[in-house]
Amino acid sequence: MAATACDAEEWKRVGFPEPSSEQAHRMLSLWQGTWIAAIAVGVVVWGLIIWAVLFHRKRKGQEGLPKQVRYNLPVEMLYTAVPFVIIGVLFFYTARDQSYVEDLKENPDVTVDVIGYQWSWQFDYIGDQFKKADGSPVSIVGTPTAPDAPGGTGNGEKPVLVLPVNKTVHFNLKSDNVIHSFWVPAFLYKKDVMPGFENQFQLKPTKTGTYEGRCAELCGVDHTRMLFQVKVVTQGEFDAYIAEQKGGGAQ
Amino acid sequence: MRVQAYMFYGCGIFFLITDIVYWSFSGEWTGTTAMALAVGLAFMIGIYIHFTVNRIEKLRGAELPEDDKLGDIADSAGDQGFFSPHSWWPLWVGLSAAALCLGMIFGTWLMLLGVALLILTSIGFVFEYYRGQYVA
Amino acid sequence: MTAISEQPAAIAGGQRTSKGRLVVSWITSTDHKVIGYLYIITSFTFFLIGGVMALVMRAELFEPGQDIVSNEQFNQLFTMHGTIMLLMFATPLFSGFANVIMPLQIGSPDVAFPRMNMLAYWFYLFGSLIVVAAFLTPDGAASFGWFAYAPLSDSVRSPGIGGDMWVVGLTLSGLGTILGAVNFITTIIGMRAPGMTMFRMPIFVWNTLLTSILVLLAFPVLAAALLALYADRKFGAQVFNAENGGAILWQHLFWFFGHPEVYILALPFFGIVTEILPVFSRKPIFGYIGLVGATIAIAGLSITVWAHHMYVTGQVLLPFFSFMTFLIAVPTGVKYFNWIGTMWRGQLTFETPMLFSLGFLVTFLFGGLTGVILASPPLDFQLSDSYFVVAHFHYVVFGTVVFAMFAGFYFWWPKWTGKMLNERWGKIHFWTLFVGFHMTFLVQHWLGAEGMPRRYADYPSEFVGLNQLSTVGSFLLGASMLPFFYNVYITWRKGKKVEVDDPWGYGCSLEWATSCPPPRHNFNSIPKIRSERPAFDLHHAAEAAKAAELAGVDLAAIDAGSDVQKRRS
Repeated sequence: MAATACDAEEWKRVGFPEPSSEQAHRMLSLWQGTWIAAIAVGVVVWGLIIWAVLFHRKRKGQEGLPKQVRYNLPVEMLYTAVPFVIIGVLFFYTARDQSYVEDLKENPDVTVDVIGYQWSWQFDYIGDQFKKADGSPVSIVGTPTAPDAPGGTGNGEKPVLVLPVNKTVHFNLKSDNVIHSFWVPAFLYKKDVMPGFENQFQLKPTKTGTYEGRCAELCGVDHTRMLFQVKVVTQGEFDAYIAEQKGGGAQ
Repeated sequence: MRVQAYMFYGCGIFFLITDIVYWSFSGEWTGTTAMALAVGLAFMIGIYIHFTVNRIEKLRGAELPEDDKLGDIADSAGDQGFFSPHSWWPLWVGLSAAALCLGMIFGTWLMLLGVALLILTSIGFVFEYYRGQYVA
Repeated sequence: MTAISEQPAAIAGGQRTSKGRLVVSWITSTDHKVIGYLYIITSFTFFLIGGVMALVMRAELFEPGQDIVSNEQFNQLFTMHGTIMLLMFATPLFSGFANVIMPLQIGSPDVAFPRMNMLAYWFYLFGSLIVVAAFLTPDGAASFGWFAYAPLSDSVRSPGIGGDMWVVGLTLSGLGTILGAVNFITTIIGMRAPGMTMFRMPIFVWNTLLTSILVLLAFPVLAAALLALYADRKFGAQVFNAENGGAILWQHLFWFFGHPEVYILALPFFGIVTEILPVFSRKPIFGYIGLVGATIAIAGLSITVWAHHMYVTGQVLLPFFSFMTFLIAVPTGVKYFNWIGTMWRGQLTFETPMLFSLGFLVTFLFGGLTGVILASPPLDFQLSDSYFVVAHFHYVVFGTVVFAMFAGFYFWWPKWTGKMLNERWGKIHFWTLFVGFHMTFLVQHWLGAEGMPRRYADYPSEFVGLNQLSTVGSFLLGASMLPFFYNVYITWRKGKKVEVDDPWGYGCSLEWATSCPPPRHNFNSIPKIRSERPAFDLHHAAEAAKAAELAGVDLAAIDAGSDVQKRRS
């Protein structure tokens, strides 16, 4: 019940999880900077409102009307111009960070096909080094789960996508049914999985750990249960995992 | 009234510029088409208002009272036009449209019935106050 | 020059009218005031129904793992909650306020098309009833979210007539909205009283005009999309077939409607607040022309930003849409400074309408700031489809529509019914609503940033605390309606009749220059219109004269000179 307590670090991140990819660090900085600007604007505007409420009230027994000011051109021009400057700055950083985050490099280290279906995920590792003996790719197929379920391959366990740390991962997002959305909050990123389109993105995980993943586009009755995990491990652990998957027989 | 015509022209021009910019940067058909239609709507209404105000002002020989900064209430004294005191027809037309919509869900028979009722009640609605004014 | 106060017959008259006659007079009415009351009462009823749905959802979300409702029912609940609140409460409420207030404010006897006015109401009522009646079908109501994304909303993934009723009902009620908008535009263009030039119109009337233009631009696109979806569902058309890019086509069409729709919701209520602030500050609107310009800019820009709802689809031109969306923040900020400037160095008093207007100012500001944050795609990649967005839009929409609605109710109640609502209960209403609202929605920003998606019926244990706080807040919010109902009841039973045209004392616009309530065709006489606040000029001529005297201005000479000028031309 007392799970509302957030530590100081989380306050500094204004609620964002710890960024776990290179791209996520950039987005976190933009988030923090934008909040500083937003709070500054808020303090000014709320301050003016509260000032007026406190100090411009009608005094008891006050007669007559206050000065019936209708306009003040310099002030009006100022408060029209300043917001343009603020959003200009915001747009600059936005455009810069957006290009960085959405950039697709030529030769990613690992390529994964993410297939969304009603109501779970299939992860296929693409590439010759991930082919099993019969030529099919190493593939993880999931089932809908409860929110606190562990990751694993059993029924009712979340499908786990294992990735190597500090390597560029390329994701191909595919669906042949409805729209889903592949969201890993720790990567501060999501992208829709749209039937009829193949969306792509890349990122480079920077921290080992297990991260929750959730479908973020309403896709039907078990949208709430379309959960997965991403487990970022060292290169050695990743290689061992792939070898185990390849040798483990039909999936 | 002329101010409103200019307002619609302004909107139309803004949408036109935005549409051209959007098309050249994105090549996306849906949004471009929708905005082009918005341009059309804005200009259509603007032109209609502009022509109407020109016509009325020419007829009266003067500015409309509501656009006259020094207009007196007495300037438009007299008959304000016909206002229906009450009417059952909106309800009947509404119910017919509802029947048509329910027919779209439940079956063609109801839809056809709805169409028939809609035609009949619309005629009733439009001709409710007709007393032969337009007979030659 | 005071207007003659005549008690109108049907509604507040002394003679006993039979209930049957009253019902007939309302359903055959062509009086914009009665039609407006019908809209307001109906939309408020839908507000309560949508609110109950929200409470059921929040109850389900109080603890993880429980099942007050099944997942399918939960999906129906949030679909219908969104549909009801946006399309059956807030949009028709705009029609309601515009109907009652706008003709009074421009000095016209009624709207341009009184019978079509009533027709639009029936389309709204019947269309909405069709949508909601889906709850009574075996498979329940539509459950594909109020945006009805394809292909989820097609007949394969959402079979059952609930979806069909949703599509068809919204088409009908959307047609009603369009007809209403046509009426408002025509009335404002063609039926203003002499002297009521465009730049003397009350801001509420300006906002009604611009909102109606947005309706004309947006609702036909919705109607087209809905009819195409209907064809897909019923006749096997392939308009939104995923292989042909149907998923994105639907989103473009829907959001081309959907974004102007939220400004259709916001602008009229900005207008209401703009009417109230000058009255309780005893100062005119600050920067009237700037305010009009800002509103026009907001309306125009709102047509160009629709795909900011689609950033994470990977299929839209991100820089264009984020730039245009950032731009909208500018005129919105300008409006804020106009409102603050109106209050600045005024003589503020804090009757209930003013409290609700201040509640709007405080709340909407935060919603606007989070909107600017969401406008940035790199930030939206994390926040889209999360509770952060839910929190944002409740702050902007609830903050605008509901706070301004109640502000308008308390402000115009004497004009509509001839009685003032009780002040003490009004203050209790305001504070419980304010606290309940913020308790519900403030923490949802945090939940979303942390990673809780929207439209989830269940969540992991890390999100429990904030969800519980939010649920408690939501029940307080729900309970805050009770002081309002009690207030309405005791006012009806034993409220004191208002004998003057302007019980607030400093009313600006023309509705305060006629009786409470007004006669059937609104005015027995209209005062001279020489500024944007003719009723104020009428009632405070003495003070204005004294101020002019102090400033050394000869008002009488100006007036006489201008009359001479006019006779000459």
